[in-house]
Amino acid sequence: MRISRTAMAAVGVAATAIVLLAGCSGSGDSGSGDGTNTYDVYALLPQGTDQPYGTTYLPAMQAEAEKDGIKLTITNSKYDADQQASECEVAVAARPDLIILWPAVGDTVRPCLAAAQAAGIPVTVTNSGVNEEDVPLTKGFSGPDTYGQGAASAEIMCDITGGQEVGILVVNGLTGNSTATTRRDGFADTIAKNCPNVKILAEQPGNWNKDDSQIAVSEMLTSVGADKVQGIYAADDTMVAGAIDALKARGIDPAPLFITSIGNTKLGNPLVVSGELDGTVFQSSSWDGEHAIDLAYTVLTGGDAKDQFMPSVKVTKDNASDPDVAPEW
Amino acid sequence: MPDLTRLRAVLARRTEGRAVVLLIAVLVAAVAFEPVVFSSFQVVLGRVALIGLVALGLTAVILLGELDLSVASTLALSGVVMASIPDPVLGVVAALATGLVVGLINSFFVVVVGINSFIATLGMLFALRGAAFVLSGEEPVRLTNIDAGIAFGAPLIGPLTPRVLLFFLVFAALQVFLSRTRIGREFYAVGGNRQAAIDVGIPVRRRLVLGFLISGVVASLAGVINTLERTAADPTAGSTVLLASFAAAIIGGVLLNGGRGTVLGTLIGALALSILQVVLTLSGVQVDIQDIFVGSILLIAIISDPTRLRASVSRLRDSLSRSRTRAPA
Amino acid sequence: MAESTLRESIVAPTTAPAPASRGARVLQFVADRGIVVFTVGLIVFAIVFVNGFASVSNVSDVFYRAAPIGIVALGMTFVVISANYLDLSVVAQVATAAVIFIGVSNQAGIIAAVLVAIVVALVYGLVNGIAVGYFRANAVIVTLATTFIGLGILRWLSGGSIFFGPDGGIVQSLGQAKVGPVPLSAIVLIAMAVILGFVLQKTTFGFAIRSYGSNKAAARLAGVQTGRLVVGAFIITSLSAMVAGFVLAAFSNTAVSSMSDGYDFRALAAIIIGGTSVFGGRGSVLRTLLGVVFVSVLTNILVLSGMGFGLQQVAIGALIVIAVSVDALARKLVKS
Repeated sequence: MRISRTAMAAVGVAATAIVLLAGCSGSGDSGSGDGTNTYDVYALLPQGTDQPYGTTYLPAMQAEAEKDGIKLTITNSKYDADQQASECEVAVAARPDLIILWPAVGDTVRPCLAAAQAAGIPVTVTNSGVNEEDVPLTKGFSGPDTYGQGAASAEIMCDITGGQEVGILVVNGLTGNSTATTRRDGFADTIAKNCPNVKILAEQPGNWNKDDSQIAVSEMLTSVGADKVQGIYAADDTMVAGAIDALKARGIDPAPLFITSIGNTKLGNPLVVSGELDGTVFQSSSWDGEHAIDLAYTVLTGGDAKDQFMPSVKVTKDNASDPDVAPEW
Repeated sequence: MPDLTRLRAVLARRTEGRAVVLLIAVLVAAVAFEPVVFSSFQVVLGRVALIGLVALGLTAVILLGELDLSVASTLALSGVVMASIPDPVLGVVAALATGLVVGLINSFFVVVVGINSFIATLGMLFALRGAAFVLSGEEPVRLTNIDAGIAFGAPLIGPLTPRVLLFFLVFAALQVFLSRTRIGREFYAVGGNRQAAIDVGIPVRRRLVLGFLISGVVASLAGVINTLERTAADPTAGSTVLLASFAAAIIGGVLLNGGRGTVLGTLIGALALSILQVVLTLSGVQVDIQDIFVGSILLIAIISDPTRLRASVSRLRDSLSRSRTRAPA
Repeated sequence: MAESTLRESIVAPTTAPAPASRGARVLQFVADRGIVVFTVGLIVFAIVFVNGFASVSNVSDVFYRAAPIGIVALGMTFVVISANYLDLSVVAQVATAAVIFIGVSNQAGIIAAVLVAIVVALVYGLVNGIAVGYFRANAVIVTLATTFIGLGILRWLSGGSIFFGPDGGIVQSLGQAKVGPVPLSAIVLIAMAVILGFVLQKTTFGFAIRSYGSNKAAARLAGVQTGRLVVGAFIITSLSAMVAGFVLAAFSNTAVSSMSDGYDFRALAAIIIGGTSVFGGRGSVLRTLLGVVFVSVLTNILVLSGMGFGLQQVAIGALIVIAVSVDALARKLVKS
């Protein structure tokens, strides 16, 4: 009796699994176009629809792949380097024509690159770069210049402060996240070099979240004294929006303060237009997704693959309403 | 006939039934949709060793009727400790010592101070992660000798990498320890009925300390392996490890209240979950739908314990009919 | 009335005979009310030593920190007291409620949004509760599974975008609303504590949950409908997570599926620091409220003193262990 019940349960679970999986593979195939695919490509990403950036990156990537006849298999390691390494092993074992890698943690991808090279699978890198000594193992990079974005935001800050002695607050991204670290370095280095008149009074992570940033900024205003703060830099527009709300909640008008960030998103662009945010740096998620495929296609077709850097366009009140810097997410 | 009765009796005593059923279901689905899984079994083994190693150590603690929520943070901290020390041998020793110390601290609070392990290790979950950030300066730490790391990731015997071999070594050691030695069998007594264990003279406190030492050291071993294979230690590492380990152990029939279960069950549980993940990655299905699918499989597996299913359904039916008859009154 | 309920609830857990000496009385007090001592001590320390702590805007910040995570923890206290560990799926539930609150409000108005969110919360509570209560499945894995399913569905349907309410819209005005100097989210937090405290201490359901948590087998033998109790506990958690999602969305006027990452263990930490036992039975909603205030004040002090994120985590983890250790040692000494 017991055994037969176990057997029934086994059959039940197996049947459910098969039905569900069949449904899944069905929907998977339907995404890959009309059977004219010539290339199999794995895209190992650390984010997808769990982050707003990935959400607009993915459709652009998929549309471009469809156009070029590339069948994409996309993974999301949620910024876990070990998970991504395992996904890389799966990808290498599946022998695709190419692997597109967006490193979860740049320092950890050497073994993945080496394994792909040993298997004769070319790798292109998107969004976040690899270490310099690993570059020869890749066929090229496309994406934003993350360090340059922090630097560009700092240049805006230097520009608008015009040599005055000012104290600013800094809101960073998620602690330990490589984009967060690189942007912070780009900003801090450039400030130190170009305008040492700008002093960082306090810094805290805002975890790429508006609410976390708003509370952190409000607390930093308390700790250093709101009257000593003349500016704020946040590592993305979502967090700068939180920072501006924190100022408003204390009855401080953000307009006279020097405020810069990175992104030019649907949340940030209107703040530039209204003058509350002095400047931001455009990061186009669709450019990023599209060029990842563009570069891969060039490599696949044997073309001349060159690194493609997203221009770090500074968005200030002068150009915020231009159609070429229309926000995407 | 008598043989069959004995077989039934043996089967009824085993705790791995659910994991075996799930494994069969996953294998059937794999044969049907992604047979490539079988030709690249070393990738699957790598995945099993990745999510299963920590789960093995955790199983020892759970059998004692305790919990260790600090394993993922221990993994991250050990990795950082190791990468911070230039000498590789010294680094490995220091990392494993870190695991030992963590196990000692955990057991100090549980055994000497007398606080619940859930709480003590929850505190350690935060504290050790913080320590990993402080020690690493909130950035990944690269190994001094990267080539050694890459060599460590290469197959050693046949297609088996050191990670996989170490995993099976730990599995065999724990399997023998828990089922063949007196001390190991006492783990079950301590977890099953603590008072009775004290009454028959089992040194319960010493067994508890040993349990936490095992899970601490195994977690730090996982940190060492990950750091070597990735060639860098990431302070954010292990974000998905804690819950995956719990899932593997509990699917494998390990009772969370202690006293019931085997490391073999945990192994089978980890095997089933790993193959499922690899099959889903290969299928190229949209990641969100993969998540929905994994969740559904977990839910079905956990509620369809064959020995309990019938009783559950009748309880639900009872309850519904009772509320129906009661409703008018 | 409500206040006496809360006061009783915190004294209730241990009722030892009147101690003789003064030292023993102090010990007894600490053993019974460790979290009160710690919270009050921490606040006094902060007022004296931390510049700007006692300012109106900073107290508001403490409440902004406490409100969403606290409301989740208040509800989850019921699951913990019913001896079912925790509800991991609050991560998915808070995010889903937040996205619905803003996404559906933008399309069909705030009332429709609240109704949809309530339906979703009930589905979560029923699925978790039936699986745990009737199928006697392990709550950790059940709620891990529903987290995967829930976040998967949320991201699949919403596409994962960031949602924001219109400037000056009703969601934003709710988030900025204050009664005198007190932010609305603080009032919601206190109101939830009063309501849930009443449910746990003064209703038959609350009594049944507590006695079920302290002895599952006995409750079953006594013919208590144990399945229903567990479903009830999970539904209360889900409705609280929904309210927390509303508060979080209103505060920032944005919603995104990753905004509640880490809420599972952070809420659990607050519950445990408050002194609710993970073995079930012992604990109260007011204790959880104090646990949340303790963690929020602590984090606030650490940020005010300019400490980096890593050291903040170390301090929080260490204080969890120390607070609970002192509590445990005092209890031990009282017994001997």
